[in-house]
Amino acid sequence: MKLNSIIILVFSFLAFGLPKNIQKKVDSEIKKTYEVETFSFNTKTIASDIANELPSEFGIDNFFEIKNDTKLLGYAYVSKAPSKTDKFDYLVLLDTNLVIIKTKILIYREDYGGEIGSKRWLKQFIGKTKDDEFRYGDNIDAISGATISVRSMTKAMDDLMKSLKILNTKGIL
Amino acid sequence: MKNFSLLFTILAASLTYAQTVPDSLATNPKNQQNAAQRILSGNINSGVTVGGYGEITYNQPEGDNGELDVQRLVLLFGYKFNDRVQFVTEIELEHVEEVFVEQAFVQYSLTDNVNLRGGLMLVPMGITNEYHEPTTFNGVERPSIDKSIVPTTWREIGFGVAGRLDNASLRYQAYLFNGFKSVNGSKTLGGANGLRNGRQKGIQSTIDSPNFAAKLDYYGISNLRLGLSGYFGRTQAEDDIEDIDGTSVGIAMVGLDARYAYKRFAARGQFIHANISDTEDYNALNSADLGSALQGWYVEAAYNLLPQSKKEQLFAFARYSDYDTHASVDGGLIKNDAYDRDEWTFGLSYKIAPGAVVKADYQLFGDATDNDRPNQLNIGLGVWF
Repeated sequence: MKLNSIIILVFSFLAFGLPKNIQKKVDSEIKKTYEVETFSFNTKTIASDIANELPSEFGIDNFFEIKNDTKLLGYAYVSKAPSKTDKFDYLVLLDTNLVIIKTKILIYREDYGGEIGSKRWLKQFIGKTKDDEFRYGDNIDAISGATISVRSMTKAMDDLMKSLKILNTKGIL
Repeated sequence: MKNFSLLFTILAASLTYAQTVPDSLATNPKNQQNAAQRILSGNINSGVTVGGYGEITYNQPEGDNGELDVQRLVLLFGYKFNDRVQFVTEIELEHVEEVFVEQAFVQYSLTDNVNLRGGLMLVPMGITNEYHEPTTFNGVERPSIDKSIVPTTWREIGFGVAGRLDNASLRYQAYLFNGFKSVNGSKTLGGANGLRNGRQKGIQSTIDSPNFAAKLDYYGISNLRLGLSGYFGRTQAEDDIEDIDGTSVGIAMVGLDARYAYKRFAARGQFIHANISDTEDYNALNSADLGSALQGWYVEAAYNLLPQSKKEQLFAFARYSDYDTHASVDGGLIKNDAYDRDEWTFGLSYKIAPGAVVKADYQLFGDATDNDRPNQLNIGLGVWF
């Protein structure tokens, strides 16, 4: 093997894939939500000229196809959004019709605003689709003492719906 | 072999440069940065957090001179050593000339739901002591209960555990703290502000018995957040006198609070009751007037006058407060009716950005005596970033 190919191999190994602790949490949510034991989890690549136009980030480690054998179960979106002084990781699981079936805060890194991890609060997004809009304090509840993170997550979800709608219109999803 | 050593060198070099958070003890002198440089480098991944809040206020009582004050300017610095270990500190400049440390603690995350904490921390009691940034409450001044009954900003050195249970929508905190000092310099407890004089604030504080503080916050109901706080212990007496009757008092304080927000409407309320034991001996020994119970509550309603589609918010609010540092008295102490106070506050909070607010309000003060207390106009600027 040539040196170049080794370097490419090593770097591609470093660049791809979610961090271990995040992947573990994502796997466990997928098993629970889709009620499957085995599944494949692969990046659904969006061409960069299209991805750049989307309100949400669609890079190498954001959007994934979940399959059981060859059957498509749905999609997973994993990304970060800002909290007051840091960023948190979140997961959105969609069915094949792009309906939200699960949202979860995977890692929240500061004390202020962690209330958005509340199952009850995150439930508000379930059942919503690409055609829905989310507005903080209007159709999405405020949480006293967690305003910044609630705004941030609401915006992240709204952006994601907009992005999915665009991808759907373009016939990509 | 040559290829492998070259590969290793390239990898090692790339890892060294990727490492934006230098270990403070062992670093390559070439890449070494001091704290200020690290902050100035502005790399969000470097683990450094800079923030702060400030309040500039104007109080104008009827018939007297007004006061203009940079009431407080607080600078927050945080550092994240890794995903488990964080340090947070807030340095406060009060009235421009006094310097305090408002918080300084290290947090160690055991799991997603359990964090251990130690250092100078806020006592979780009611709403404002923990959430005291000017954009988080209405009114130029903090609610009076959060001065006279809960001695905001109430902080002491201690350790404990804090975390959240996402499935139950519950936040919990439990700490052992150092307590109030029975006699702080020449200042005794009692009077209009109850326990306030006893705060040690982590300044060469003396301890003979730790105090317990805990709070549960429940946010499992839409738009509502409920809090239950408790604080139990004794004040701290000096060594050579600690066995004498009256050198300390026992404190049992409980608080209930609620915050509600729905579309353009917001409301909050708080109730605090503190039982204080052995006040008869304490008052006799120290010629003090500490009540055997402190109690206060307030309710507040606010409405955003601007449409929700606007980024700016203009809240009109009204708050009624009722609080008494002589809710009960023991022994020969006679209740001071001037400590049995009530007040109305009417005002506007204009949030020109989520972190910047212009406030104005008018306060009507009353108490159980026949004396007139002058009403007061307040105007303030507040920021939080």
